[in-house]
Amino acid sequence: MNHLQLAFRNLKRRPARSILTALGVALAVGSFITLYGLSRSVQENVQQSFEERGTDLTVRRRGVAEPFGGTMPQSVIPEIAKIPGVSAVSGQLLSFAATDNDDHVIAFGWAADSFYWATVPLLEGRLPEPDERKVALVGKDIARTLDKHVGDNIALLGDKFRVVGITDYASIINRNAVIVGLADLQEITFRTGAVTFISVKLAHPGSADETDRVAKDIEALGQLSVTKSEGVLSNDSLIGLLSAVSTSMAWVALLMGVLMVLNTLLMAVLERTREIGILSAIGWSKQRIMGALVIEGFILSALGSAAGIAIGIAGSHLLSAIPAIGRYIAVRPTPGLIAVTALAAIVLGILGSFYPAFVATRQSPAAALERA
Amino acid sequence: MASKPLVTLDHVGHSFDDGRIVALKDVSLTIEQGESVAIVGASGSGKSTLILLLCGIRVPSGGRVLWKGDPVTTPERWTDLRRSEIGIVFQEFNLFPTLTARENIEVAMFGAGVGSRERQLRADAALETVGLSERATHLPHELSGGERQRVAIARSIINNPALILADEPTGNLDSVNAASILDLLFDLKRARGATLVMVTHEPSYAQRCARELRIKDGNVYEQRPERARQEAI
Repeated sequence: MNHLQLAFRNLKRRPARSILTALGVALAVGSFITLYGLSRSVQENVQQSFEERGTDLTVRRRGVAEPFGGTMPQSVIPEIAKIPGVSAVSGQLLSFAATDNDDHVIAFGWAADSFYWATVPLLEGRLPEPDERKVALVGKDIARTLDKHVGDNIALLGDKFRVVGITDYASIINRNAVIVGLADLQEITFRTGAVTFISVKLAHPGSADETDRVAKDIEALGQLSVTKSEGVLSNDSLIGLLSAVSTSMAWVALLMGVLMVLNTLLMAVLERTREIGILSAIGWSKQRIMGALVIEGFILSALGSAAGIAIGIAGSHLLSAIPAIGRYIAVRPTPGLIAVTALAAIVLGILGSFYPAFVATRQSPAAALERA
Repeated sequence: MASKPLVTLDHVGHSFDDGRIVALKDVSLTIEQGESVAIVGASGSGKSTLILLLCGIRVPSGGRVLWKGDPVTTPERWTDLRRSEIGIVFQEFNLFPTLTARENIEVAMFGAGVGSRERQLRADAALETVGLSERATHLPHELSGGERQRVAIARSIINNPALILADEPTGNLDSVNAASILDLLFDLKRARGATLVMVTHEPSYAQRCARELRIKDGNVYEQRPERARQEAI
């Protein structure tokens, strides 16, 4: 027998309590992975959707809290196009639009001359003609969900659009998006002449100096904020708020798990006062007694973390399976997040077991032995 | 040169409740290596307190305790002594309920620099010594009272202690088991040359010891000083 086996034997003494504690840690770890993964996934998925369109810089209205709510005048696009180092500029209007069956989709409005059209991966059908109105490209996932095919009509804010193609994007947002002409989306959203984002392609995207200069020149046009596309939404206040809330909830969940370990071990110490006295009587040092209890904390945390990883991954898939979430965000915790969370839970669990262990060694062996 | 006493109590006193209850008053005594000593007295006279003072589980209110001539002043030193030099047998057996007989013995070797395999071998040998080889994998609740006390004795001797302290080791046993346990304790004492200090209520059990210390009103009296001197010689 060794210390680990001894700790397992002690935990098996109260199987229900040990299992419930480990389950508490598991739920905490699972919640952390899911919530933290959710907040990260929002940014990552938006970023992926931009990357698929070959964008180097993204221009937004400065100071607008809502990531998709601020608009800019379309007239600024030619001004940006004149800046040296800019090879192409496209604006897009974005709207969460009501569609068939009281459902909602992300609708993108693109100008006829946008460079975005050249990046569309078509699964079937064709691209809209430049002068064609009230036609739409539908992402393959939302097409499957709404059972739309080329030639069908799809409703956007009460207007009918004819589906002329099904897109085959990789990112979750684009797979669930409907793309229409910019003028059409401006018309049905009453945002004539407005765009939500402006995407900029650079002549020399590898040049950091040129990138910074172009960004400054664009911002000098006034009321505009420029980010590199890989960092889009990274400084967004609403996304930041969402991230802060979910991260806080995740940490609260994790700390509750640690408190459960602490509480369980504290109860164990109080129940086993006499046995701790016996250990002292047979020559166990305070450090060894502490170590034995900390090992119990480690086991509870480690088992909880292992189960928590499974819960976190399952929870992420469940979140992604909810249409209101999964249509826009694929919650996928990274191996790094999983590893760090599990490690944090184990370390915190060990730290949480120090107090009960300290309580165990603080009592006098004589008093402990006198306990019934 | 005469060897130093194994344990010396030098004007040791012990009180409880901030001095309102005095268990032992100014006790001075020596216990030599290889002796057998019975501690007798009425209930609550301080017998168990004396045993616990001899192993450092209780700390004297006054005076000092010496181990082989050296004062023991720190809890850490007492912990070392209880691990390597002192074995304790309790009336209530004090076995760990979730551990088998073998594991209860192995636990006493944690921290004694003995490897896992060696711990198991030595525990099995100790169980054989106390006649419980067949019960190695049994939990305490699967053992009789006498068997549990045998396991406790095996645990107390596992690190070859110089001093075995037994606090009413037969207190929870019937007369047959009690006699058997006493035989075992004295056999082990003789075989290993250890010192045995035993608390007992039974005069006949006390008679088996070379010395008998009676505790009354917080004082310790030597009951058979002549016999003690003879054995010492």
